[in-house]
Amino acid sequence: MTDGRVVVDGRPLEFIDGDSIAKAIVRAGEVPGRGGALCLAGDCGNCLATVDGVAYVRTCQVAARPGTVVARDPVGAKPPLPVVDGTDLTRTPLGWAIPIRRADIDVAVVGGSSAGRVAADQARAEGRSVVILEAAEGSEVVGIYPGPAIVAREPGGMLHLRAAEIVVATGAAEIQPVCPGNDLAGILTAGAAERLHAAGINLGRAVAIGTPPADIDCEVLEGRLVRFEGDDAGRVRAVVTTAPDGTEMTTRCDTAIVGLGLAPRDVLARMLPGEPVRPVGAAAEAQPLPAAPTDGVVCRCMGTTVADLAMAWDDGFTELELLKRASWAGLGPCQGGACLPHVRAFIAARTGTPPDPFTARPAARQITLAEAAADTTIDAFRRTPLHAEHLALGARMDRFGGWWRPWHYGDVVGEYWAVREGVSIGDVSTLGKLVVSGPDAVEALERMYPCNVADIKVGRSRYALLLNERGHVMDDGMILRMAENRFVLSFTSGGAANAEMWFRDWIDTWGLRVHVMDRTMSLAAINVTGPLAKELIARLGLPDAPRFLGHVEAPIASVPCHVMRLSFTGEAAFELHHPIDRSVELWRALMDAGSDLGIRPHGLQALFGLRLEKGHVIVGMDTELDTTPRRLGMDWAVRMEKPAFIGRAALERTAKLEDDRRWFGFAMDGDAPVEGAPIRALPDDADPGDRGGDIIGNVTGSWRSPLLGKALVLGWQRRRPFADRVEIDGRAAVATPTPFYDPEGLRARA
Amino acid sequence: MPALEPINGVRAVAQPDALDAAAWEGADVVVLRVAPDEVFAIGATSVSLADPDAIVEPEASFSAVTLDLAGVAAVSAHVDWSLDAPIGGLVQGKIAGVPAKLLRGDDTILVVQTAYADELERRLGWR
Repeated sequence: MTDGRVVVDGRPLEFIDGDSIAKAIVRAGEVPGRGGALCLAGDCGNCLATVDGVAYVRTCQVAARPGTVVARDPVGAKPPLPVVDGTDLTRTPLGWAIPIRRADIDVAVVGGSSAGRVAADQARAEGRSVVILEAAEGSEVVGIYPGPAIVAREPGGMLHLRAAEIVVATGAAEIQPVCPGNDLAGILTAGAAERLHAAGINLGRAVAIGTPPADIDCEVLEGRLVRFEGDDAGRVRAVVTTAPDGTEMTTRCDTAIVGLGLAPRDVLARMLPGEPVRPVGAAAEAQPLPAAPTDGVVCRCMGTTVADLAMAWDDGFTELELLKRASWAGLGPCQGGACLPHVRAFIAARTGTPPDPFTARPAARQITLAEAAADTTIDAFRRTPLHAEHLALGARMDRFGGWWRPWHYGDVVGEYWAVREGVSIGDVSTLGKLVVSGPDAVEALERMYPCNVADIKVGRSRYALLLNERGHVMDDGMILRMAENRFVLSFTSGGAANAEMWFRDWIDTWGLRVHVMDRTMSLAAINVTGPLAKELIARLGLPDAPRFLGHVEAPIASVPCHVMRLSFTGEAAFELHHPIDRSVELWRALMDAGSDLGIRPHGLQALFGLRLEKGHVIVGMDTELDTTPRRLGMDWAVRMEKPAFIGRAALERTAKLEDDRRWFGFAMDGDAPVEGAPIRALPDDADPGDRGGDIIGNVTGSWRSPLLGKALVLGWQRRRPFADRVEIDGRAAVATPTPFYDPEGLRARA
Repeated sequence: MPALEPINGVRAVAQPDALDAAAWEGADVVVLRVAPDEVFAIGATSVSLADPDAIVEPEASFSAVTLDLAGVAAVSAHVDWSLDAPIGGLVQGKIAGVPAKLLRGDDTILVVQTAYADELERRLGWR
């Protein structure tokens, strides 16, 4: 009676209700995988195939349904990778989202064996919450992870289950044969034969080796299994056994049934040593090992033969974990489910002692990347309150320092000139902002920073590096004194969260009376910069703008602002820090009031060019993990006369050593080279067109300066003597002092 | 669909004892003790604190939504930390990968920095 058809390698095959895919294929007289003994219990990898586009599916564990499409792996090869139409993978739809169900439980029982039911009943009697995860009922456990936690595949998606205790009650698996010809089709474990027989599938002439299956009419062979023999189609046709006297006997058959004993099905219990995971029942019962294999394929998943094991053994890999890694036995889809008893027997025959089973690794069942990544999220990127304003102005947004930021508004050079010659505004809400307050605030900051802090007057500010204990630059920013014991600190956009932790940790360690509040996301900030910035600020309510490095709290366009007179662009600049719920209002007021001044916003690309002309460092972009102030040429930002600050001891020690790294400015003709480009040595007497030699550094920032008419580069030299001329991008570049633009800083102070 | 809306309040960093005894001004103030030395008080307009060095600032950087039971269940599917806090308790962690807070009660309040609000709503399928 036919209940439907599955499509196998393009041909429809009939199945009856209750068939697994593997069973339906066998019913049609074919082989679900590519040979090897079938267990039909999910233990081996011999029925793996691609089902409905998903590779490595155990077809014995999947019910046949009408229209299911099965593709068997190519002979001797892995399943092909999926083909994606087109080349732009970013435009490829994700396909489907896998939902996740999360739960907590006292006891999770994996497997519905009688031992598992007993364990479940016992836990319930103790008043503990219990769940039983049974693959046959739809909960297929993939792996056990620290926690302990179970990841399982369910019909509706993935289950992530935290359990105080996990009981593995998965029973025992039948041992597979290892001998020449064990990769032929038509070999069944006794259990598989019983299942097929019960399903009404004709096994033809069957012979049995070892313990025969129940209720199947078959010839039971005596003696030791030597090999299977097959026909040209790769199907078993005979079993060769050896009598005690050494005589070989060949028995013809259509099906060879092996009853070689059992091994604990404990792969899940071996994934997490030391955690409350315990096998029970047959999964916990030690079983006799099979005879040591002497020939044939041991691990069909990885193609490991007995000869491979012997070779690895002879090379010195004489422990189970080492032998596994050297031979690859047990590394495949079934994670040793089929081969482990044989590998242990192989070792036991050589050492006299069976080794403990090896640690198993998830996944015990193959899952798709979508299932593995279900509900996995990439880092969230923040939006400033001006996000919509940027989009309305045509900005191309990009992710930088943990935020969505306007990269440009369509005209980078125009944005640049607005800053250099007129007035421009930029969204710098992303800057890190800490408030520090308390009677020990000055003491804390003196210890935190390498610059002087106590002499910063109220209403004034100072640029500062932030160093770690090794004297390496972690971040930079401004220290602004608000009152005797109160400061505002600014940091890079990407460094704020780390800075807060850094400050809290040290203040706690020192036991100082200081409070710290992170206001990075509480306050937005707009940078008003350019020669006309002061005029614009005056129009909006601050005629007496603070002088350079001064700051004041004042309303701008009626929005309460902390106005900071700084400069990253090289022009006069005012950072307006304000509550984020007033940001759009302030942005629009600035744009309106500056319309006759030619105001336009600038994005990050122009800002990076502007700062590059000034030679300002961007920590994290120009710096490396071990960048010191000396390497940046910023010793001026360090006051070694201070008795103590974080990093001082390291700087004092390393100052006595020669340092072969330095951050330089370079100028060159033509377009700007790409950032990251190598910097090569170029002899002083090199002729034009000569190629550079060794790589001595790399470019960290580059910009074709519209004002200076040449390419400007910031980058590292890592070899002494530092070169005056180098090659970048096939062109000569000349080491040039920074700032490239307005070295006296007159425009920033104007 | 639920929708996160900006909320206002007062944020204070002070000595824990001072925060324990703080007197909050405002209508229907909901106090979130986000750290031993830090409070965000939704709806507060001011606070009296016995700590002269306390940092007290108006706070408008959070958004929130009140969830019913179905909403809590839906959000819980995206929480990878334990939600076993007692009713009335504040739990903090990532929801769908976004830093957020849940104040458990008869009505549960989901609080998130406004800078993350759009991203969280998208990840929860609310928009």
